[in-house]
Amino acid sequence: MDSYKYLIIGGGVAGTTAAETLRQNDKDGSVAIVSDEPRFYSRIMLSKPNFFLEKISFDSVWLKQKEWYGENKIDFIGGVLATKLNSANKTIELSDGKVLEYEKLLLATGGEARPWPLPGSDKKGVCYVRDLNQAKELMENVKTAKHAIAVGSGFVSFEMCEMMRLGGLEVTLIMREPYYWYPLLDEESGKMIEAALEKGGVKILREAEVSEILGDEKISGVTLKDGTKIDCDLALIGIGLVCHLDWIKQAGVEINKGILTNEYLETNLPDVYAAGDVAEFNDLVLGERVQLGNWVNAQMQGRTAANNMLASSGISGVEKKPFKMVSFYTCIGFGLNIAMSGDVRIKSEYKIIKRGSPEINFFVRVIVDTNDEIIGATFINRTQDMGPINKLIESDFKVTNHESELSNTNFNLKQLLPK
Amino acid sequence: MSNTKEYIRNREGSNISKIVIDRDLCIGAASCIAVSGETYELDNENKAVVTHADAADDVTLMMSAESCPTKAIFLFDKEGKQVFPK
Repeated sequence: MDSYKYLIIGGGVAGTTAAETLRQNDKDGSVAIVSDEPRFYSRIMLSKPNFFLEKISFDSVWLKQKEWYGENKIDFIGGVLATKLNSANKTIELSDGKVLEYEKLLLATGGEARPWPLPGSDKKGVCYVRDLNQAKELMENVKTAKHAIAVGSGFVSFEMCEMMRLGGLEVTLIMREPYYWYPLLDEESGKMIEAALEKGGVKILREAEVSEILGDEKISGVTLKDGTKIDCDLALIGIGLVCHLDWIKQAGVEINKGILTNEYLETNLPDVYAAGDVAEFNDLVLGERVQLGNWVNAQMQGRTAANNMLASSGISGVEKKPFKMVSFYTCIGFGLNIAMSGDVRIKSEYKIIKRGSPEINFFVRVIVDTNDEIIGATFINRTQDMGPINKLIESDFKVTNHESELSNTNFNLKQLLPK
Repeated sequence: MSNTKEYIRNREGSNISKIVIDRDLCIGAASCIAVSGETYELDNENKAVVTHADAADDVTLMMSAESCPTKAIFLFDKEGKQVFPK
Protein backbone atom coordinates (compact mmCIF):
# COMPACT_ATOMS: atom_id res chain seq x y z
CA MET A 1 0.00 0.00 0.00
CA ASP A 2 1.34 3.43 -0.93
CA SER A 3 1.48 5.77 1.98
CA TYR A 4 1.60 9.57 1.93
CA LYS A 5 2.16 12.14 4.60
CA TYR A 6 -0.15 14.51 2.71
CA LEU A 7 -2.84 13.16 0.42
CA ILE A 8 -4.96 15.54 -1.63
CA ILE A 9 -8.14 14.50 -3.40
CA GLY A 10 -8.72 16.88 -6.30
CA GLY A 11 -6.22 18.50 -8.66
CA GLY A 12 -7.91 21.85 -9.26
CA VAL A 13 -6.83 25.20 -7.96
CA ALA A 14 -7.43 24.37 -4.26
CA GLY A 15 -5.66 20.99 -4.42
CA THR A 16 -2.74 22.18 -6.52
CA THR A 17 -2.14 25.31 -4.47
CA ALA A 18 -2.24 23.15 -1.35
CA ALA A 19 0.33 20.74 -2.80
CA GLU A 20 2.58 23.63 -3.73
CA THR A 21 2.31 25.16 -0.25
CA LEU A 22 3.01 21.80 1.40
CA ARG A 23 6.12 21.27 -0.68
CA GLN A 24 7.42 24.78 -0.07
CA ASN A 25 7.26 24.26 3.68
CA ASP A 26 8.00 20.56 4.04
CA LYS A 27 10.75 19.58 1.61
CA ASP A 28 10.68 15.86 2.37
CA GLY A 29 7.11 14.96 3.35
CA SER A 30 5.48 12.83 0.66
CA VAL A 31 2.65 14.52 -1.23
CA ALA A 32 0.14 13.03 -3.70
CA ILE A 33 -2.74 14.45 -5.67
CA VAL A 34 -5.57 12.17 -6.81
CA SER A 35 -7.43 13.64 -9.78
CA ASP A 36 -9.78 12.49 -12.51
CA GLU A 37 -8.37 15.15 -14.81
CA PRO A 38 -5.10 15.16 -16.78
CA ARG A 39 -3.44 17.93 -14.75
CA PHE A 40 -4.03 21.42 -13.38
CA TYR A 41 -5.57 23.86 -15.82
CA SER A 42 -7.33 27.22 -15.77
CA ARG A 43 -11.06 26.78 -15.43
CA ILE A 44 -11.34 30.55 -15.67
CA MET A 45 -9.90 30.56 -19.17
CA LEU A 46 -12.48 28.14 -20.54
CA SER A 47 -15.07 30.88 -20.93
CA LYS A 48 -12.73 33.66 -22.06
CA PRO A 49 -12.40 34.74 -25.71
CA ASN A 50 -8.62 34.28 -26.02
CA PHE A 51 -9.00 30.59 -25.29
CA PHE A 52 -12.49 29.79 -26.45
CA LEU A 53 -12.05 31.41 -29.84
CA GLU A 54 -8.58 29.85 -30.13
CA LYS A 55 -6.71 33.16 -30.30
CA ILE A 56 -4.09 31.58 -28.05
CA SER A 57 -2.85 27.99 -28.18
CA PHE A 58 -4.86 25.27 -26.51
CA ASP A 59 -1.85 24.42 -24.35
CA SER A 60 -1.97 27.80 -22.67
CA VAL A 61 -4.83 26.44 -20.56
CA TRP A 62 -2.38 24.35 -18.50
CA LEU A 63 -1.21 26.16 -15.41
CA LYS A 64 1.38 23.52 -14.51
CA GLN A 65 3.61 21.72 -16.93
CA LYS A 66 3.79 17.92 -16.74
CA GLU A 67 7.31 18.14 -15.33
CA TRP A 68 6.25 20.38 -12.46
CA TYR A 69 4.83 17.45 -10.48
CA GLY A 70 8.04 15.39 -10.71
CA GLU A 71 10.30 18.35 -10.06
CA ASN A 72 8.40 19.06 -6.87
CA LYS A 73 8.18 15.41 -5.82
CA ILE A 74 4.39 15.48 -5.99
CA ASP A 75 2.87 12.17 -7.10
CA PHE A 76 0.05 12.90 -9.54
CA ILE A 77 -2.37 9.98 -9.55
CA GLY A 78 -4.49 10.86 -12.55
CA GLY A 79 -7.54 9.42 -14.25
CA VAL A 80 -9.05 7.96 -11.08
CA LEU A 81 -11.63 8.94 -8.51
CA ALA A 82 -11.55 8.47 -4.77
CA THR A 83 -14.41 6.18 -3.83
CA LYS A 84 -14.03 5.41 -0.16
CA LEU A 85 -12.61 7.04 2.92
CA ASN A 86 -11.82 5.04 6.03
CA SER A 87 -10.89 7.55 8.69
CA ALA A 88 -10.14 4.93 11.35
CA ASN A 89 -7.46 3.26 9.20
CA LYS A 90 -6.64 6.57 7.50
CA THR A 91 -7.01 5.14 4.02
CA ILE A 92 -8.54 6.21 0.72
CA GLU A 93 -9.77 3.70 -1.83
CA LEU A 94 -9.61 4.62 -5.51
CA SER A 95 -11.84 3.68 -8.43
CA ASP A 96 -9.13 1.33 -9.75
CA GLY A 97 -9.18 -0.59 -6.46
CA LYS A 98 -5.91 0.80 -5.18
CA VAL A 99 -5.74 1.86 -1.54
CA LEU A 100 -3.66 4.78 -0.27
CA GLU A 101 -2.71 5.58 3.29
CA TYR A 102 -2.54 9.15 4.57
CA GLU A 103 -1.43 11.07 7.62
CA LYS A 104 -3.22 14.29 6.59
CA LEU A 105 -6.01 14.30 4.03
CA LEU A 106 -7.36 17.25 2.04
CA LEU A 107 -10.69 16.94 0.28
CA ALA A 108 -10.63 19.45 -2.58
CA THR A 109 -13.03 17.62 -4.84
CA GLY A 110 -14.79 20.70 -6.23
CA GLY A 111 -18.11 20.35 -7.97
CA GLU A 112 -19.69 19.62 -11.30
CA ALA A 113 -22.06 21.58 -13.47
CA ARG A 114 -25.60 20.99 -12.27
CA PRO A 115 -27.26 18.79 -14.88
CA TRP A 116 -30.28 20.18 -16.70
CA PRO A 117 -33.10 18.36 -14.90
CA LEU A 118 -35.25 17.53 -17.92
CA PRO A 119 -35.86 14.37 -19.95
CA GLY A 120 -33.69 14.48 -23.07
CA SER A 121 -30.91 16.51 -21.51
CA ASP A 122 -28.50 13.79 -22.67
CA LYS A 123 -29.08 14.73 -26.31
CA LYS A 124 -26.15 15.89 -28.37
CA GLY A 125 -25.83 19.64 -28.42
CA VAL A 126 -26.66 20.05 -24.72
CA CYS A 127 -23.44 21.52 -23.35
CA TYR A 128 -21.84 22.69 -20.14
CA VAL A 129 -18.59 24.50 -19.56
CA ARG A 130 -17.35 23.34 -16.17
CA ASP A 131 -14.41 21.19 -17.21
CA LEU A 132 -11.94 20.89 -20.04
CA ASN A 133 -13.74 18.09 -21.88
CA GLN A 134 -17.02 19.97 -21.71
CA ALA A 135 -15.32 23.10 -23.04
CA LYS A 136 -13.81 21.12 -25.93
CA GLU A 137 -17.20 19.64 -26.77
CA LEU A 138 -18.82 23.06 -26.68
CA MET A 139 -16.08 24.61 -28.83
CA GLU A 140 -16.69 21.94 -31.47
CA ASN A 141 -20.46 22.44 -31.32
CA VAL A 142 -20.16 26.21 -31.68
CA LYS A 143 -18.28 25.72 -34.97
CA THR A 144 -21.29 24.11 -36.66
CA ALA A 145 -24.31 25.35 -34.70
CA LYS A 146 -26.56 28.15 -35.95
CA HIS A 147 -28.89 28.96 -33.07
CA ALA A 148 -28.07 28.47 -29.42
CA ILE A 149 -30.07 28.88 -26.28
CA ALA A 150 -28.39 29.72 -22.99
CA VAL A 151 -30.15 28.65 -19.81
CA GLY A 152 -29.51 30.46 -16.53
CA SER A 153 -28.72 34.00 -15.45
CA GLY A 154 -25.33 33.83 -13.80
CA PHE A 155 -21.77 34.33 -14.90
CA VAL A 156 -21.57 31.17 -17.02
CA SER A 157 -24.46 32.22 -19.23
CA PHE A 158 -23.23 35.79 -19.40
CA GLU A 159 -19.73 34.94 -20.53
CA MET A 160 -20.84 32.13 -22.81
CA CYS A 161 -23.48 34.23 -24.53
CA GLU A 162 -20.65 36.45 -25.67
CA MET A 163 -18.50 33.51 -26.78
CA MET A 164 -21.38 32.11 -28.82
CA ARG A 165 -22.17 35.50 -30.35
CA LEU A 166 -18.49 35.95 -31.25
CA GLY A 167 -18.69 32.45 -32.73
CA GLY A 168 -21.39 33.75 -35.08
CA LEU A 169 -24.45 32.09 -33.51
CA GLU A 170 -27.88 33.48 -32.92
CA VAL A 171 -28.35 33.33 -29.15
CA THR A 172 -31.52 33.28 -27.06
CA LEU A 173 -31.12 33.53 -23.30
CA ILE A 174 -33.79 31.78 -21.25
CA MET A 175 -34.00 32.72 -17.59
CA ARG A 176 -36.51 32.07 -14.83
CA GLU A 177 -35.69 35.31 -13.08
CA PRO A 178 -37.40 38.67 -13.70
CA TYR A 179 -34.04 40.29 -14.50
CA TYR A 180 -30.44 39.24 -14.86
CA TRP A 181 -28.67 37.97 -11.75
CA TYR A 182 -31.74 38.35 -9.57
CA PRO A 183 -31.65 38.41 -6.55
CA LEU A 184 -27.91 39.02 -6.09
CA LEU A 185 -28.07 42.19 -8.13
CA ASP A 186 -30.68 44.93 -7.96
CA GLU A 187 -32.89 45.66 -10.92
CA GLU A 188 -30.86 48.67 -12.09
CA SER A 189 -27.65 46.64 -12.28
CA GLY A 190 -29.46 43.68 -13.80
CA LYS A 191 -30.94 45.90 -16.49
CA MET A 192 -27.48 47.27 -17.29
CA ILE A 193 -26.32 43.74 -17.97
CA GLU A 194 -29.41 42.96 -20.01
CA ALA A 195 -28.87 46.10 -22.09
CA ALA A 196 -25.32 44.96 -22.84
CA LEU A 197 -26.55 41.47 -23.76
CA GLU A 198 -29.22 42.85 -26.05
CA LYS A 199 -26.86 45.33 -27.65
CA GLY A 200 -24.60 42.35 -28.30
CA GLY A 201 -27.42 40.64 -30.17
CA VAL A 202 -28.73 38.27 -27.49
CA LYS A 203 -32.48 37.82 -27.29
CA ILE A 204 -33.61 37.59 -23.66
CA LEU A 205 -36.66 35.67 -22.45
CA ARG A 206 -37.43 36.59 -18.83
CA GLU A 207 -39.45 34.53 -16.36
CA ALA A 208 -39.27 31.73 -18.86
CA GLU A 209 -38.55 28.06 -18.36
CA VAL A 210 -37.99 25.16 -20.70
CA SER A 211 -40.52 22.37 -20.26
CA GLU A 212 -39.45 20.03 -23.02
CA ILE A 213 -36.34 19.30 -25.03
CA LEU A 214 -37.04 18.48 -28.67
CA GLY A 215 -35.08 16.40 -31.18
CA ASP A 216 -33.99 12.82 -31.65
CA GLU A 217 -30.34 12.09 -31.03
CA LYS A 218 -29.51 15.78 -31.23
CA ILE A 219 -31.37 18.73 -29.76
CA SER A 220 -33.49 20.53 -32.37
CA GLY A 221 -35.38 22.91 -30.14
CA VAL A 222 -37.20 23.44 -26.87
CA THR A 223 -40.73 24.15 -25.75
CA LEU A 224 -41.22 26.67 -22.96
CA LYS A 225 -43.77 26.38 -20.17
CA ASP A 226 -45.96 28.98 -21.88
CA GLY A 227 -45.98 26.86 -25.03
CA THR A 228 -43.50 28.91 -27.06
CA LYS A 229 -41.30 26.79 -29.31
CA ILE A 230 -37.72 27.78 -30.02
CA ASP A 231 -35.54 26.10 -32.62
CA CYS A 232 -31.97 25.52 -31.54
CA ASP A 233 -29.11 23.16 -32.24
CA LEU A 234 -27.13 24.00 -29.14
CA ALA A 235 -28.11 24.53 -25.51
CA LEU A 236 -25.60 25.94 -23.04
CA ILE A 237 -26.60 25.17 -19.48
CA GLY A 238 -25.31 27.34 -16.64
CA ILE A 239 -27.55 26.66 -13.65
CA GLY A 240 -25.07 26.14 -10.86
CA LEU A 241 -22.85 23.58 -9.28
CA VAL A 242 -23.35 20.25 -7.50
CA CYS A 243 -20.92 18.41 -5.27
CA HIS A 244 -20.82 14.62 -5.17
CA LEU A 245 -20.51 13.84 -1.51
CA ASP A 246 -21.91 10.32 -1.08
CA TRP A 247 -18.62 8.58 -0.38
CA ILE A 248 -17.55 11.43 1.90
CA LYS A 249 -20.79 11.32 3.84
CA GLN A 250 -20.55 7.54 4.20
CA ALA A 251 -17.20 8.01 5.89
CA GLY A 252 -18.82 10.07 8.62
CA VAL A 253 -17.77 13.50 7.40
CA GLU A 254 -20.42 16.07 8.26
CA ILE A 255 -21.92 17.61 5.16
CA ASN A 256 -24.66 19.95 4.09
CA LYS A 257 -24.50 21.13 0.47
CA GLY A 258 -20.75 20.99 0.83
CA ILE A 259 -18.33 19.54 3.34
CA LEU A 260 -18.69 21.33 6.66
CA THR A 261 -15.55 22.82 8.13
CA ASN A 262 -14.59 25.30 10.80
CA GLU A 263 -12.56 28.44 10.04
CA TYR A 264 -9.39 26.34 9.98
CA LEU A 265 -10.88 24.26 7.17
CA GLU A 266 -10.89 21.21 9.43
CA THR A 267 -13.77 18.77 9.07
CA ASN A 268 -15.31 16.92 12.01
CA LEU A 269 -12.89 14.00 11.45
CA PRO A 270 -9.31 14.22 12.71
CA ASP A 271 -6.66 15.02 10.07
CA VAL A 272 -9.29 15.51 7.37
CA TYR A 273 -9.51 18.97 5.80
CA ALA A 274 -11.59 20.47 3.00
CA ALA A 275 -10.95 23.44 0.71
CA GLY A 276 -12.29 25.11 -2.41
CA ASP A 277 -15.73 24.91 -3.99
CA VAL A 278 -16.63 21.83 -1.93
CA ALA A 279 -15.95 23.45 1.46
CA GLU A 280 -18.84 24.89 3.41
CA PHE A 281 -16.73 26.80 5.86
CA ASN A 282 -17.13 29.11 8.80
CA ASP A 283 -16.55 32.48 7.15
CA LEU A 284 -15.09 34.84 9.73
CA VAL A 285 -15.86 37.89 7.59
CA LEU A 286 -19.55 37.08 7.15
CA GLY A 287 -19.90 35.41 10.54
CA GLU A 288 -21.65 32.34 9.16
CA ARG A 289 -21.05 29.09 7.34
CA VAL A 290 -21.05 29.51 3.56
CA GLN A 291 -20.03 27.67 0.44
CA LEU A 292 -18.49 29.76 -2.35
CA GLY A 293 -17.62 28.59 -5.82
CA ASN A 294 -14.88 30.79 -7.09
CA TRP A 295 -11.27 30.66 -8.17
CA VAL A 296 -9.62 33.04 -5.73
CA ASN A 297 -11.47 31.62 -2.74
CA ALA A 298 -10.42 28.09 -3.71
CA GLN A 299 -6.83 29.14 -4.19
CA MET A 300 -6.56 30.95 -0.88
CA GLN A 301 -8.30 28.09 0.94
CA GLY A 302 -5.89 25.58 -0.58
CA ARG A 303 -3.08 27.60 0.92
CA THR A 304 -4.71 27.90 4.36
CA ALA A 305 -5.65 24.20 4.52
CA ALA A 306 -2.08 23.24 3.60
CA ASN A 307 -0.74 25.63 6.22
CA ASN A 308 -2.87 23.96 8.88
CA MET A 309 -1.93 20.46 7.72
CA LEU A 310 1.72 21.51 8.08
CA ALA A 311 1.12 23.06 11.49
CA SER A 312 -0.60 19.96 12.83
CA SER A 313 2.29 17.86 11.48
CA GLY A 314 4.60 19.89 13.69
CA ILE A 315 6.52 21.58 10.87
CA SER A 316 8.62 24.22 12.56
CA GLY A 317 7.80 27.84 11.87
CA VAL A 318 4.27 27.08 10.66
CA GLU A 319 1.42 28.14 12.91
CA LYS A 320 -2.20 27.17 12.61
CA LYS A 321 -4.26 30.05 11.22
CA PRO A 322 -7.87 30.62 10.27
CA PHE A 323 -9.07 31.34 6.75
CA LYS A 324 -10.16 34.95 6.59
CA MET A 325 -10.75 36.73 3.34
CA VAL A 326 -13.30 39.08 1.82
CA SER A 327 -14.39 36.83 -1.01
CA PHE A 328 -15.04 38.28 -4.42
CA TYR A 329 -15.85 37.24 -7.92
CA THR A 330 -15.30 38.99 -11.23
CA CYS A 331 -16.45 38.32 -14.78
CA ILE A 332 -16.34 40.05 -18.14
CA GLY A 333 -18.39 40.16 -21.31
CA PHE A 334 -20.09 42.44 -23.83
CA GLY A 335 -17.84 45.32 -22.82
CA LEU A 336 -18.84 45.08 -19.16
CA ASN A 337 -16.82 44.00 -16.20
CA ILE A 338 -18.82 42.83 -13.25
CA ALA A 339 -17.72 42.05 -9.73
CA MET A 340 -19.33 41.16 -6.44
CA SER A 341 -17.57 41.08 -3.12
CA GLY A 342 -18.42 40.19 0.43
CA ASP A 343 -22.06 39.52 1.20
CA VAL A 344 -24.44 40.80 -1.46
CA ARG A 345 -27.62 39.22 -0.09
CA ILE A 346 -29.77 42.21 0.75
CA LYS A 347 -31.98 42.46 3.83
CA SER A 348 -34.62 45.17 4.07
CA GLU A 349 -32.92 46.85 7.03
CA TYR A 350 -29.65 47.31 5.11
CA LYS A 351 -28.67 50.58 3.52
CA ILE A 352 -27.39 50.81 -0.05
CA ILE A 353 -25.06 53.59 -1.08
CA LYS A 354 -24.97 54.09 -4.82
CA ARG A 355 -21.84 55.22 -6.59
CA GLY A 356 -22.23 56.10 -10.27
CA SER A 357 -25.31 55.14 -12.24
CA PRO A 358 -26.37 53.15 -15.28
CA GLU A 359 -26.56 56.44 -17.22
CA ILE A 360 -22.84 57.08 -16.88
CA ASN A 361 -22.12 53.39 -17.51
CA PHE A 362 -20.60 52.50 -14.21
CA PHE A 363 -22.49 51.59 -11.13
CA VAL A 364 -21.39 50.47 -7.69
CA ARG A 365 -23.66 49.50 -4.82
CA VAL A 366 -22.12 49.57 -1.36
CA ILE A 367 -24.13 47.49 1.09
CA VAL A 368 -24.16 48.70 4.70
CA ASP A 369 -25.54 46.58 7.54
CA THR A 370 -27.27 47.70 10.73
CA ASN A 371 -23.90 47.99 12.51
CA ASP A 372 -23.00 50.82 10.12
CA GLU A 373 -20.39 48.60 8.46
CA ILE A 374 -19.91 47.70 4.81
CA ILE A 375 -20.56 44.00 4.29
CA GLY A 376 -20.57 43.73 0.53
CA ALA A 377 -20.66 45.52 -2.79
CA THR A 378 -21.48 45.01 -6.45
CA PHE A 379 -19.50 46.67 -9.22
CA ILE A 380 -20.29 47.21 -12.86
CA ASN A 381 -17.51 48.76 -14.94
CA ARG A 382 -15.80 49.97 -11.81
CA THR A 383 -13.70 47.11 -10.52
CA GLN A 384 -10.95 49.52 -9.49
CA ASP A 385 -13.12 50.34 -6.48
CA MET A 386 -13.17 46.71 -5.36
CA GLY A 387 -9.71 46.70 -3.73
CA PRO A 388 -10.43 49.64 -1.42
CA ILE A 389 -13.99 48.47 -0.68
CA ASN A 390 -12.74 45.02 0.29
CA LYS A 391 -10.28 46.61 2.69
CA LEU A 392 -13.11 48.67 4.20
CA ILE A 393 -15.17 45.49 4.66
CA GLU A 394 -12.22 43.77 6.30
CA SER A 395 -11.44 46.65 8.64
CA ASP A 396 -15.02 47.08 9.94
CA PHE A 397 -15.02 50.68 8.69
CA LYS A 398 -17.90 52.81 10.06
CA VAL A 399 -19.86 54.44 7.26
CA THR A 400 -21.53 57.34 9.12
CA ASN A 401 -20.11 60.71 8.00
CA HIS A 402 -18.57 59.09 4.92
CA GLU A 403 -21.67 58.46 2.84
CA SER A 404 -21.13 61.42 0.54
CA GLU A 405 -17.54 60.35 -0.09
CA LEU A 406 -18.63 56.82 -0.90
CA SER A 407 -21.20 58.08 -3.37
CA ASN A 408 -19.00 60.78 -4.90
CA THR A 409 -17.62 59.28 -8.11
CA ASN A 410 -14.68 61.69 -8.11
CA PHE A 411 -13.64 60.72 -4.61
CA ASN A 412 -10.78 58.21 -4.47
CA LEU A 413 -11.86 55.52 -2.02
CA LYS A 414 -8.28 54.77 -1.11
CA GLN A 415 -8.36 57.93 1.00
CA LEU A 416 -10.71 56.18 3.41
CA LEU A 417 -8.30 53.35 4.14
CA PRO A 418 -6.48 53.21 7.45
CA LYS A 419 -2.95 54.55 7.02
CA MET B 1 3.97 40.34 -26.31
CA SER B 2 2.07 43.23 -27.69
CA ASN B 3 0.12 45.16 -25.13
CA THR B 4 2.36 44.93 -22.09
CA LYS B 5 3.35 47.17 -19.23
CA GLU B 6 6.68 46.85 -17.49
CA TYR B 7 7.51 47.73 -13.92
CA ILE B 8 11.09 47.92 -12.70
CA ARG B 9 11.75 46.61 -9.22
CA ASN B 10 14.59 47.72 -6.96
CA ARG B 11 13.82 45.92 -3.73
CA GLU B 12 16.94 45.24 -1.72
CA GLY B 13 18.02 41.61 -1.73
CA SER B 14 15.44 40.63 -4.32
CA ASN B 15 16.24 38.46 -7.31
CA ILE B 16 13.27 39.76 -9.25
CA SER B 17 13.97 43.02 -11.01
CA LYS B 18 11.07 43.39 -13.41
CA ILE B 19 7.33 42.67 -13.40
CA VAL B 20 5.53 42.61 -16.75
CA ILE B 21 1.77 42.49 -17.18
CA ASP B 22 0.27 41.44 -20.50
CA ARG B 23 -2.89 43.53 -20.71
CA ASP B 24 -4.32 41.42 -23.53
CA LEU B 25 -4.19 38.34 -21.31
CA CYS B 26 -5.34 40.05 -18.10
CA ILE B 27 -9.06 39.58 -17.46
CA GLY B 28 -9.29 41.45 -14.17
CA ALA B 29 -9.75 38.29 -12.10
CA ALA B 30 -7.90 40.14 -9.31
CA SER B 31 -6.31 37.00 -7.86
CA CYS B 32 -2.97 38.86 -7.80
CA ILE B 33 -4.58 41.51 -5.62
CA ALA B 34 -5.87 38.88 -3.22
CA VAL B 35 -2.31 37.60 -2.83
CA SER B 36 -0.57 40.99 -2.76
CA GLY B 37 -2.85 43.99 -2.49
CA GLU B 38 0.17 46.17 -1.77
CA THR B 39 1.68 45.39 -5.18
CA TYR B 40 -1.30 45.48 -7.54
CA GLU B 41 -4.60 47.17 -8.19
CA LEU B 42 -7.11 47.20 -11.03
CA ASP B 43 -7.18 50.25 -13.27
CA ASN B 44 -10.15 51.86 -14.99
CA GLU B 45 -9.91 49.35 -17.84
CA ASN B 46 -10.29 46.42 -15.41
CA LYS B 47 -6.63 45.45 -15.90
CA ALA B 48 -4.08 44.75 -13.19
CA VAL B 49 -1.41 47.39 -12.76
CA VAL B 50 1.55 47.48 -10.38
CA THR B 51 1.37 50.31 -7.85
CA HIS B 52 4.34 49.37 -5.68
CA ALA B 53 6.80 47.09 -7.43
CA ASP B 54 9.02 46.86 -4.37
CA ALA B 55 6.34 46.21 -1.78
CA ALA B 56 6.28 42.40 -1.65
CA ASP B 57 9.04 39.89 -0.97
CA ASP B 58 10.05 37.47 -3.72
CA VAL B 59 8.00 34.56 -2.38
CA THR B 60 4.83 36.64 -2.27
CA LEU B 61 5.49 38.14 -5.68
CA MET B 62 6.01 34.68 -7.15
CA MET B 63 2.77 33.49 -5.54
CA SER B 64 0.91 36.46 -6.98
CA ALA B 65 2.14 35.64 -10.49
CA GLU B 66 1.35 31.94 -10.04
CA SER B 67 -2.15 32.82 -8.87
CA CYS B 68 -3.11 34.39 -12.21
CA PRO B 69 -5.61 32.16 -14.05
CA THR B 70 -4.53 33.53 -17.44
CA LYS B 71 -0.77 33.70 -16.85
CA ALA B 72 -0.71 37.43 -17.54
CA ILE B 73 2.07 38.23 -15.04
CA PHE B 74 5.71 37.70 -16.04
CA LEU B 75 8.67 37.99 -13.69
CA PHE B 76 12.29 38.58 -14.73
CA ASP B 77 15.54 38.33 -12.77
CA LYS B 78 18.47 40.75 -12.80
CA GLU B 79 20.02 39.07 -15.82
CA GLY B 80 16.81 39.64 -17.73
CA LYS B 81 15.90 35.96 -17.64
CA GLN B 82 12.21 35.15 -17.32
CA VAL B 83 11.69 33.33 -14.01
CA PHE B 84 7.91 33.01 -14.31
CA PRO B 85 6.13 31.43 -16.11
CA LYS B 86 8.91 28.87 -16.50
